[in-house]
Amino acid sequence: MELEQAKELTPQTPFQEFYQSFALNKGAVIGLAVLLFFIAVGISSPFLAPYDPTQLFDGAYRLPPFFSSGGNTKFLLGTDDVGRDILSRLIHGTALSLGVGIMIVVVSLVLGTIFGLLAGYFGKSVDRTVMRFTDIVMALPSTLLAIVVAAILGPGLVNAVWAVSIVAIPNYIRLVRALVMAEKKRAYVMAAQAYGAGHIRIMVSEILPNCTAPIIVQATLGLSEGILNAAALGFLGLGAQPPTPEWGTMLADARPFLENSPWMVTFPGLCILLVVLALNLVGDGLRDALDPRLKR
Amino acid sequence: MKLWQILFPLCFILSLVSSSHASTFVYCSEGSPTAFNPQITTDGTSNNAAGHTIYNRLVEFKYGATEVVPGLAESWTVSPDGKTYTFKLRKGVKFGTTKYFTPTREFNADDVIFSIDRQRDTSHPYHSVNGGNYEFFKAMEVDTLISTLKKIDNYTVEFKLNKPESPFITNMAMSFMSILSKEYADQLLKENKKENIDNFPVGTGPFVFRSYEKDTLVRFEANPTYWQGTPKIDKLVFAITPDANVRYQKLKTGECHLIIEPAPADINAMKQDSKLKVMESAGLNVGYLAFNVKKKPFDNLDVRRAIYHALNRTSYINAIYMGNAILAKNPLPPTIWSYNDKTEDYPFNIEKAKALLAKAGHPNGFAAELWTLPVTRPYNPNGKKMGEMMQADLAKIGIKVTLVSYDWPTYLAKSRNGEHQMIQLGWTGDNGDPDNFLNVLLGCSGMKAGSNVAQWCQKDFNQKIVKAKSISNQEARTKLYKEAQEIFHDRAPWVPVAHAMIYRAMSAKVQGYKIDPLGGDIFREVYIE
Repeated sequence: MELEQAKELTPQTPFQEFYQSFALNKGAVIGLAVLLFFIAVGISSPFLAPYDPTQLFDGAYRLPPFFSSGGNTKFLLGTDDVGRDILSRLIHGTALSLGVGIMIVVVSLVLGTIFGLLAGYFGKSVDRTVMRFTDIVMALPSTLLAIVVAAILGPGLVNAVWAVSIVAIPNYIRLVRALVMAEKKRAYVMAAQAYGAGHIRIMVSEILPNCTAPIIVQATLGLSEGILNAAALGFLGLGAQPPTPEWGTMLADARPFLENSPWMVTFPGLCILLVVLALNLVGDGLRDALDPRLKR
Repeated sequence: MKLWQILFPLCFILSLVSSSHASTFVYCSEGSPTAFNPQITTDGTSNNAAGHTIYNRLVEFKYGATEVVPGLAESWTVSPDGKTYTFKLRKGVKFGTTKYFTPTREFNADDVIFSIDRQRDTSHPYHSVNGGNYEFFKAMEVDTLISTLKKIDNYTVEFKLNKPESPFITNMAMSFMSILSKEYADQLLKENKKENIDNFPVGTGPFVFRSYEKDTLVRFEANPTYWQGTPKIDKLVFAITPDANVRYQKLKTGECHLIIEPAPADINAMKQDSKLKVMESAGLNVGYLAFNVKKKPFDNLDVRRAIYHALNRTSYINAIYMGNAILAKNPLPPTIWSYNDKTEDYPFNIEKAKALLAKAGHPNGFAAELWTLPVTRPYNPNGKKMGEMMQADLAKIGIKVTLVSYDWPTYLAKSRNGEHQMIQLGWTGDNGDPDNFLNVLLGCSGMKAGSNVAQWCQKDFNQKIVKAKSISNQEARTKLYKEAQEIFHDRAPWVPVAHAMIYRAMSAKVQGYKIDPLGGDIFREVYIE
């Protein structure tokens, strides 16, 4: 009895609290499982893939997957129009797509947070300058802007990352700025100011830690958007360059064969769908778990 | 695009097809024509929409062949020195009547003089209208070839040339030599609407122009006074459909009667469909990979030969063309006379390629750029994919290839300046003469014009093809062209890849259609059962 009472009285750590409410959301847990699976595949891709993703198998053009007639267990998910193993390409593409998504988030998150902090903390002309810039970027349709940036920088995976990141930055700026503006009037900030703390110290070690939760949620959702945008650029030929096995590029290459080799377009499409869906579910779960206003 | 903007033309086409008016023929073409005058256009799309429908030439290619037959000229004579050509014009040929022009006189010598002088004479009132760039006229060197052009009487014209030129008569059959109406041009001059001449066409051809909506439709009606007899279809519609998959869908649903360039992947399914008919023909084309021989290391013959040996071209034929092509070993397609069948192809042999590369001083290979074709062309359905296969093949001998591509006009412009190292390109013959391949693509004059992308100007080769051009004895020409092909093979400025088959898919009810070996779509004898 005593023990049990003691347990009830111990306050939960923030992590326990978060874990409990996250675990309640079934969708988010499934999403997380799918995501972890893809991450594991991505990390172990060099060992997992049966073949080199760029190896051409002479004569094995557009073989269907093993479970349909004419298929071959040598190529589990079939081959593409020039005789490359689709499974190997998908596995290598996993690392690439996730890596690209993470890079996009890191770049846009870091830049967005810096500008958002500056705008929200200093206000006045700094705020005006930064916010007019974000207004301009946000006034343009995001995919179109990404295409324009990628076209200017030239096609390539690294340039595609920059293009998509630039498009994503305003979301972070707006979010961080709003959070900072609310936080900077709090008593603990004033206390820090009264103690004579510098601007940078107040921004980075006082205000920023109190804004992390919404930023994490935004980053998770931004990850899925980034993967989707990078795939879109790849589809348009502005992203990864051949023979890189990127999902969006694979999709674009398979398009002419939609009618008679549907597996070529199905599997990369399915991968994109699963990863993006999983990320969105996880993002939703995180928001529910981290936002005190949404907590039951 | 709003829904009605898609649905309206769609319903419109549907109503055209379904309205049991069997004499409306819908052709699903691949793009919008740039203008309705073959004098100022060079692309096949524009040529189909004007050259073969609206206009005629003094001499023409026989329907479905490359043989030259009389057109608006009934007959012609050549002087013994080969420098004077006299054309006797056909009498009783009428220009088509359109909403904007009603002809009052029949076709005569004035129209011929007008059509050629517009391109030739820089002070001609129409010369600089709509840009004034007559690319074909210049590229075929007709501008410097004709010294004088004279009207002898209303039905006789005389061309005097600066030098004898045996492909002259076949050049005259090409679309850029189409005959326009001078009476119409005079009317436009009075109305001060000169630029209309290339957009609202008037010609003597089997169809008359009705209307054009960019990216949607071109409409024609049969010319009731056509000199070869009224076409069997009353109305002809070009439904512009850039995507090959969509064209196939439209053909299946009966929205089109005939489609241009079906995707190779769909051809088998089309052949099995009893409602459809697929026609095929050996194309007068060549797809190739050219080396820029002015750039290192491609100036080295052993490097070029090594790459030739390293490319598994048979696998490209199977994967990219899906077997619908012949492996190329000469720059000329086998359907053209003087094709050298004795050429022994460089076999696919990695070991030999490695040895040659080592001999050239690159035992570990090198890095290079390869430009891939950005558009689907008859001679290469998927340049990007072929590039990926070439990249994988060349990696085996240590050559690290970066694939590069630009949009089509930029690609051509940059290749003309010789900015590339290796480049995929190809050619479809314009007139069925070997000169149209060997001189344009590999001659020294082609290097100046930019069409010789290998930048290859070889003295012996050039001497032979220039000589072959000036004589008219076909046997002697054949011999020279065969020797030229041997030199080409030995020096390997290109790796010829394929001669692709040409396909057209149509409804089983379509009759009378023949594939034009020169790449056009001609509807004057087509009808629907």
